[in-house]
Amino acid sequence: MPKAGASAGARGSRGAIKQSRRMAGDQPKDTSDMSFEELLELQSRGGPKACKQVVAGRSPEKQSPKPVCVADKHRPLEMSAKVRVPFLRQVVPISKKVARDPRFDDLSGEYNPEIFDKTYQFLNDIRAKEKELVKKQLKKHRSGKEHERLQQLLHRMEQQEMAQQERKQQQELRLALKQERRALAQQGHRPYFLKKSEERQLALAEKFKELKRSKKLESFLSRKRRRNAGKDRKHLPLSNE
Amino acid sequence: MVDSARDRGKSKGGGKMNEEISSDSESESLAPRKTEEEEEEELEETAQEKKLRLAKLYLEQLRQQEEEKAEARAFEEDQVAGRLKEDVLEQRGRLQKSVAKEIQAPAPTDIRVLRGHQLSITCLVVTPDDLAIFSAAKDCTIIKWSVESGRKLHVIPRAKKGTQGQPPGHSSHILCMAISSDGKYLASGDRSKLILIWEAQSCQHLYTFTGHRDAVSGLAFRRGTHQLYSTSHDRSVKVWNVAENSYVETLFGHQDAVAALDALSRECCVTAGGRDGTVRVWKIPEESQLVFYGHQGSIDCIHLINEEHMVSGADDGSVALWGLSKKRPLALQREAHGLHGEPGLEQPFWVSSVAALLNTDLVATGSHNARVRLWQCGEGFRQLDPLFDIPLVGFINSLKFSSAGDFLVAGVGQEHRLGRWWRIKEARNSVCIIPLRRLPAPPVAGS
Repeated sequence: MPKAGASAGARGSRGAIKQSRRMAGDQPKDTSDMSFEELLELQSRGGPKACKQVVAGRSPEKQSPKPVCVADKHRPLEMSAKVRVPFLRQVVPISKKVARDPRFDDLSGEYNPEIFDKTYQFLNDIRAKEKELVKKQLKKHRSGKEHERLQQLLHRMEQQEMAQQERKQQQELRLALKQERRALAQQGHRPYFLKKSEERQLALAEKFKELKRSKKLESFLSRKRRRNAGKDRKHLPLSNE
Repeated sequence: MVDSARDRGKSKGGGKMNEEISSDSESESLAPRKTEEEEEEELEETAQEKKLRLAKLYLEQLRQQEEEKAEARAFEEDQVAGRLKEDVLEQRGRLQKSVAKEIQAPAPTDIRVLRGHQLSITCLVVTPDDLAIFSAAKDCTIIKWSVESGRKLHVIPRAKKGTQGQPPGHSSHILCMAISSDGKYLASGDRSKLILIWEAQSCQHLYTFTGHRDAVSGLAFRRGTHQLYSTSHDRSVKVWNVAENSYVETLFGHQDAVAALDALSRECCVTAGGRDGTVRVWKIPEESQLVFYGHQGSIDCIHLINEEHMVSGADDGSVALWGLSKKRPLALQREAHGLHGEPGLEQPFWVSSVAALLNTDLVATGSHNARVRLWQCGEGFRQLDPLFDIPLVGFINSLKFSSAGDFLVAGVGQEHRLGRWWRIKEARNSVCIIPLRRLPAPPVAGS
């Protein structure tokens, strides 16, 4: 185009005068100085969005992220001078110690006995070692307060161990039942779920078997009868005679 | 060809050739004309002609620049312009005359000691004409001294507590004083929550301002006006108009008792927050405050150097220079007056007073280590370098420079102005006038 050529030659001589014409290929700042051909070209090239952007001015994305000046960080804080300072005010910054109970903390998650036992398996060894220690201590102190204390400690440890064993057995039982159910369901039978009372009966049956094996059935049953008798006696009406 | 070049030069200026053409057709005729000329240039201009034209352009530009420079120089040398420039710089807080280097250490015999108070001096002010000094002490009296003769011009005695119908006066420790920049009013504040206004010339009592809820700890007049700023241990800053005997407003923000206050000609005041740990600049027309942090101990004293910078001292021995654009100090000098105490249990000397010569780089600090230390502020107030010490025994409870910078006045006491933690028996409760002599300026080489 003759216009563009002339402008290219004349630019060198007209350094001071503002250049209103531009070279072909420059991005125009304004649609006002674009010919119709150029507008059509822009539309076809960039699509309607680009055209709208040029028409509307700078795109909003360029405007929104304002560069955060580093110097603003060092400026003094400006506050209102009319706000009364409250009576309970912070003169020296003190951070309050937040007390956390992991038992009731959401961060600890839900208690799942199986996972708990699995992850804290290593504690069993430590408990066994401690039991050995207590037994050794017991050998040293055969009488007196120390002896009693150690006895109680040992008893407690043993009971805890037994309780853990029981828990484990129950878990295993539950797991076995679950697997049975799953196998049956897979085979094609309808899945069935036991009631809580039925589960308790099953557990009781297992316990009977165990007791019979270890021959403690009689003592267990007699103790149970005695306890139940005592409880029943409480419910009877009081007799003055 | 040369003629065409000249013609083009004239048409660029848009000058005489276009005068006869009507205004309507001017724009239309210019545009096609320019294209024609461009085409002509393309075809006819040779390299030499182009060089010639460019050289002429360059010479023209040089000539214009030289003319502008000459104009600027002429303006600078003008006296009025110089003065105006100074005023603008002063307003913006950038005027700084470096006088610190010229100050000579005074001989101990040159220091004049004015004795008259019975208890420790707590505060003092110098009248703007440098002729008199007002000093107040723990004995609740105010004494007006003459600088030249050293005699007492007037004594405002202590008033007895409670009973009415007496000559007005203070009945508790006077913690602060201020004098207006025209030397008319003197204001004094004490521990019984009162601000008393006196006429400076005759020491007549004029007004009493009540309103504070605790001891008044800082007072300052705004330069050029009769507006008084006061602060107190009740954590508020109050604005009063002394000429009209009225209260204007209260500003809040400090978290603990305020220790000191200072103001210059802007409608701003600056307070030292004590245990609060903050220095606050109060912009009164905008009802806002700027908060600065930086000291570790309790900030006890503050003084404005110019409109934009201030110096403060704390009870951990540190002295800090502040600028309004940075929340932390520009310069911090720890243990400015050294350490004292048993080995292993050393504590820094508390900085009990600071003073600065207006619009210069000279700062003075006082403590109770038997010397007043003078400092020079470095470039842009980013440095604080000690100059020399002036030996003066006792608690330096107040320091003030004279307006001309000829002398420094120190209020000395046996006890700290706020309490009785220590007592220096060797000290004398007095006002000391320390002359600051300047080295004669070296002769300009080549004159």
